[in-house]
Amino acid sequence: MPNPSPARMHDFEVVANEEIAEGIFSLVISAPKLACALRPGQFVNLRVPGDSSELLRVPLSYVSADPNAGTVEIWYAVRGNATGRMSEWKSGFKSDLLGPGGHGWLVPEGARRVLLVGGGIGVPPVLCLASELSRRGIAFDACLGAATASKLVGVEDFEALDGGFVRVCTDDGTAGDCGFCTGPAAAALSEASYDYVATCGPSAMMERVAKAAGEAGVYCEASLERMMSCGFGACSTCNVETTDGMKGACMCGPVFDASKVVVF
Amino acid sequence: MASVNMSVDFGGVKMKNPINTASGTFGQGWQFSELMDVSALGAITTKGCAAEPWPGNPAPRMTEVRGGMMNSVGLQNPGVEAFARDYGPWLFDLTDKGTQVICQVAGHSTEEYVRALEMFDELCPWAAGFEINVSCPNIAAGGIACGSTPEGAADVMRACRKVTDRPLFIKMAPVRIPEIARALEAEGADGLTVINSIPGMAIDVHTRRSKLSKPTGGLSGPLCHPIAVRMVWEAANAVDIPVCGVGGVMTGEDAAEMILAGACCVSVGMASFVEPDASVRILHELEQWAESQGVKDINELIGAFEC
Repeated sequence: MPNPSPARMHDFEVVANEEIAEGIFSLVISAPKLACALRPGQFVNLRVPGDSSELLRVPLSYVSADPNAGTVEIWYAVRGNATGRMSEWKSGFKSDLLGPGGHGWLVPEGARRVLLVGGGIGVPPVLCLASELSRRGIAFDACLGAATASKLVGVEDFEALDGGFVRVCTDDGTAGDCGFCTGPAAAALSEASYDYVATCGPSAMMERVAKAAGEAGVYCEASLERMMSCGFGACSTCNVETTDGMKGACMCGPVFDASKVVVF
Repeated sequence: MASVNMSVDFGGVKMKNPINTASGTFGQGWQFSELMDVSALGAITTKGCAAEPWPGNPAPRMTEVRGGMMNSVGLQNPGVEAFARDYGPWLFDLTDKGTQVICQVAGHSTEEYVRALEMFDELCPWAAGFEINVSCPNIAAGGIACGSTPEGAADVMRACRKVTDRPLFIKMAPVRIPEIARALEAEGADGLTVINSIPGMAIDVHTRRSKLSKPTGGLSGPLCHPIAVRMVWEAANAVDIPVCGVGGVMTGEDAAEMILAGACCVSVGMASFVEPDASVRILHELEQWAESQGVKDINELIGAFEC
């Protein structure tokens, strides 16, 4: 029998919930057992009550977990009705979640220098990994992108980790370089020697990063987003087409070996 | 211990209670093993499986709609041989704990259903019965194309009946229920599972594209419940073989509606995605309802609907 998902049901209480960029919120929840169990790159599946016509949970990455405080911080973009209701959550609000889901980033043993590439709301799981790399003393550089300056998140957090360079791009040039962060990422891969690349963001961005990493001969992982019904391997709806066949993002991902991903 | 006898006989499958799981919403059961006591259920019905592995449809396979969801999984499965090898030991163990296992059989043609059923019959001696899926709305051939006429459904049933003496059930498409039910009964079906997901469409008006990778998908969830209850009632009135009610059961009262409409047992579907142990909660709520009705046996309530 395959291993069941590590996800368990956890009650949580909202500690804080505030907008940190245009349409992007930081949610801090108290969930002590979850805070101990999460590993960078895993996800949680939140129940968002308030509308009986919307039943499915909302799967989200997390940006940090503090086992001592028993808290988990999640950054989410308001994209639809459910995340809209989440943005109204106040301190003390209670719900439940299933987590941790899937497996996270698998940084190769002995990796000494890592390139992190995050775009839009794909930045949080990459920042989560950056914190882990910082703790383990592994050097990293970061290329971050957003549509515009007001939607850019995580730059100060990356800089505070003091890993390596942090290159910022926006589609409209309102912050950092004008353009996509795939350009600086490809340049970095051709100029320096990396042992591992981790990327999360828009599909086209991840595909280009994976291609550049492949050309540079560097192992690359991508954290993919799919619509999920259950999040623990029962429904077969969050499929990712890989060179090894269809794989469920909730059980075989959400982090995948990018060289094996056919459709990002 | 419930004061009401909850055990039912679903076409030869003796269930300790009427709660079953809808195929495709419960994997092969093991996915729930750390999230609930699967052995509390009367039965589980495993995800459809064909003789050979199927990759299923491309992403996106699911979109949420008001009051439910639509899927276009396309019966992704590993093939019966891998199914039996990888999941058989756990499922066998589950039967040892008193929960019956019904394996769903998938195919693109009568020949493929027969081949898959032959393999199931040989490789899964622990299976209490088999459910033939002639109603999947998400595959190009077979599925609903076989099961939406009395002739097509009867053809599959006739061929499958020759393969095994174990209980055979048919997962019915949500069309022409009375006449197809009668045709299936005449060909030796032991029971009917009513209904499969309802073909639907969801269009992203901004991109003008389907919200799924195919134009249509299968609608499920609570928005389907009243339709499913009506079709269970139609099936139960049309035939003498038992019916398993499926469609948007989220609470014990939803399950009770199915029982009253004529279902012998009830499968929980989408609710298990939202709340993994929903089926156990629904079982307890159903027990409480049966007690509240002042009966000694849940069987007294099957079809007890009055108009």
